[in-house]
Amino acid sequence: MNDKPEKFIDENGLRLDGRQIDEIRPMTIKIGVLSRADGSCYLEWGNNKILAAVYGPRELHPRRLQKADSALIRYRYNMAAFSVEDRARPGPSRRSIEISKVSREAFEPVVMTHLYPSAVIDVFAEVLQADAGTRTAAINAASIALADAGIPMKGLVAACAVGKVDGKLVLDLNKPEDNYGEADLPIAITQDGEITLLQMDGDLTQEEFKEAVKLCKEGCYQILEMQKEALKTKFSDDADIDIPDDIDEDVDVEALEKCDTEDSGEEDVSDESEEDEGSEDVDDEEEPEDVEEDFVDTVEEKTDDEEDTTEGGEVREQ
Amino acid sequence: MSNEVMSVLKRDYIYNLMLKGKRTDGRAFDEVRDIEVKTNVIDKAEGSAWVKYGDTEVLVGVKMQVGTPFPDSAGEGVIITSLELNPIASPDFEAGPPRENAIEMARVTDRGVRESGAIDLSKLCITEGEEVWMVFIDIHVLNNGGNIQDASSMGAIAALLTTTIPAESAGKGEDIAMPIKDIPLGVTVINIGGSLMVDPELDEETVCDTKITVVSNKDGSISGMQKSGDGALTEEQLLKAVEMACEKAAELREAHLSDLQN
Amino acid sequence: MEREIVFPGQLLSENKADSGSGTYVKDGKVYSLLYGVKNTRNKISVIPFSGKYIPSSKDFVIGTVIEVTPSNWIFDIGSPYDGLLHVSEYPKRVDSDKMPGIMDVGDSALLRVKDVNPSMKVELSMRERGLKPLKVGRIIEVVPAKVPRVIGHGGSMVSMLKKEADSEIFVGQNGRIWINGKENDMDRLTEAIDMIMKQSHTSGLTDRVCQFLRDEGDVDAEEDLAEAEEVEDESEIPEDTYRKVDALLDETDD
Repeated sequence: MNDKPEKFIDENGLRLDGRQIDEIRPMTIKIGVLSRADGSCYLEWGNNKILAAVYGPRELHPRRLQKADSALIRYRYNMAAFSVEDRARPGPSRRSIEISKVSREAFEPVVMTHLYPSAVIDVFAEVLQADAGTRTAAINAASIALADAGIPMKGLVAACAVGKVDGKLVLDLNKPEDNYGEADLPIAITQDGEITLLQMDGDLTQEEFKEAVKLCKEGCYQILEMQKEALKTKFSDDADIDIPDDIDEDVDVEALEKCDTEDSGEEDVSDESEEDEGSEDVDDEEEPEDVEEDFVDTVEEKTDDEEDTTEGGEVREQ
Repeated sequence: MSNEVMSVLKRDYIYNLMLKGKRTDGRAFDEVRDIEVKTNVIDKAEGSAWVKYGDTEVLVGVKMQVGTPFPDSAGEGVIITSLELNPIASPDFEAGPPRENAIEMARVTDRGVRESGAIDLSKLCITEGEEVWMVFIDIHVLNNGGNIQDASSMGAIAALLTTTIPAESAGKGEDIAMPIKDIPLGVTVINIGGSLMVDPELDEETVCDTKITVVSNKDGSISGMQKSGDGALTEEQLLKAVEMACEKAAELREAHLSDLQN
Repeated sequence: MEREIVFPGQLLSENKADSGSGTYVKDGKVYSLLYGVKNTRNKISVIPFSGKYIPSSKDFVIGTVIEVTPSNWIFDIGSPYDGLLHVSEYPKRVDSDKMPGIMDVGDSALLRVKDVNPSMKVELSMRERGLKPLKVGRIIEVVPAKVPRVIGHGGSMVSMLKKEADSEIFVGQNGRIWINGKENDMDRLTEAIDMIMKQSHTSGLTDRVCQFLRDEGDVDAEEDLAEAEEVEDESEIPEDTYRKVDALLDETDD
């Protein structure tokens, strides 16, 4: 391992990699990169390379793990053997198990798990190349992968770390700052600024801590903007994405009923009759039965702590 | 491995296509999917390759460490190949220690590299009997679109070809390129109802009852083989499969690996 | 009408009365729950780009048998929740030991969701006209969120597909579509449905898909006359069809 640098911040107030103390490393985000996953994201942040994927909601085995009123979130943070300086043994370590746990909890407050009782939502975050801040990078990627999978969420989650070097607080640690710094404080927040992950090690005064949280949240908000930007521009021509008015976005149950039950058995000759009746008689009035219509209206202003238990049933049934 | 039930209709569809000499994605029986090989993608590894066979993606990293040789080969370096079927790669893969499929693929890849003599292991000896270079080939499967085996084989040799031994930072002299002597490459042929085809995509791999992977070298010699799956092959099919695999390996070696040799 | 890509947590309206599907209300304001496209017809709703099928009573679905128990066929319906078809919901009386003879593991069927209870036990039925075990045809899988496009306004798209491709079509709300017809008709239809998926957010889609099917059909017909075996040969497709399709794909390709 390299020797500890003498100074982390130069006379101009710049860090070893030329950044300002409140500047985050460059980040690139690609969405929907894996064909098998329900949602995925490849994220580079500094020299971190992270691949995140979401599978689900899907059936959960073994059954005893199922939660009757909500989906279980499983989060697996995993490092590729070649992602670090000294080869890491494949498979979970105590470190990766801890990170997986707190990362999962970072998403619990935003994911609408009660819409999918007894199912599981699997989030896999693979660290392909590790620089400093892999857990926060993984959370930023996972957040996008969840959105890409069509998982209902109250908002995205963004994460970043603050540390202390040369007695000064710095945003988004690089490797030497991480290795030799005096403190490390990773935080994840919701868009409302609520903190859903916080860990800390090192040495900070209470005053410094207060300052650090503020700085860190600012970093998170910057990342949130980048996440939004990436989602908005996944479709290159997003400006003129054009869904005409005459397209139904809900299943027209009546029309479907007609179509699906019409042909019975043989290749029949129902074509002529269809031609006339098919198009006119069902107007654009949405039917109350529409499949996707129902699952959300109920999330009213109720306070957060009530939701999980009460809504499970009514949401789906009405 | 696959806990998903494949519908009979789909099975029949693939089978019927085969009878007409066709494949689901329009390829000829001896045609591979689009292949992409990118090397030096992971700075932390001494050699690395990101390989795509159609939808299948694997990332291979080579790490080098100083270690002790095995007593029976005191003057040779050590190769250790691992493969993980990460749950990120398929809804059918589960977290946990590698199961038989992953271990089989890792070992087939390993045998190809080892038995072909692709690496001059004597050049990986630092002090006989005491210190040698250990070569860790780690195969990280990212997306399973079928035929992980061939993508892994391609990734392993591509990563090795671009590996630099970090002797300097380990205090063992100057950095040197990995001593590569040959370029073994595995090609898998499947049998669906008597028809042989290379590079199966996922559905074909699920439908077929027999696979044969043939690892062949620059001079056309064979250094590793594995028959896998519940079915059987006739001798005639086997010989045909070997011929197909060796021909295809030569083609792919030329197309994707010839520029990498350092 | 404003069409915009939205992300989870995006503020959509200051008025909670606007809250439609795919949204939630907090402090009197409406936010998106999903990554998708905002739809402001009537209320504000969000149409997701992706997502799993969640069964609901009266849905039409296509399932594949994953297990046969003494009184139920258990179906994978492309959802986190498997569906149960009780033997009494099969149109004819069946003895328990004859069940695998009717449908065995791997067999597919056209079904309807009879009931879903709060713990997501999904009961299926086949006691309705048009529902049956499948022995022929193909099943195409699409993103469930895009099923409405395949059906079209008042069923216009699916009616057109049936007519132009001269095939049977059953659209399952779980994103599985069963088609049955002549081989080359099914090939055309598979491509047409793929086209619908790729161009789902463009206007005039029904007409374009219709034209595509006709052009392809002409090619097929010509080749039938010439008794050419290779229906797939792409060079035979009229040049302008290609241009049109390319232009469309360029428009919408992500």
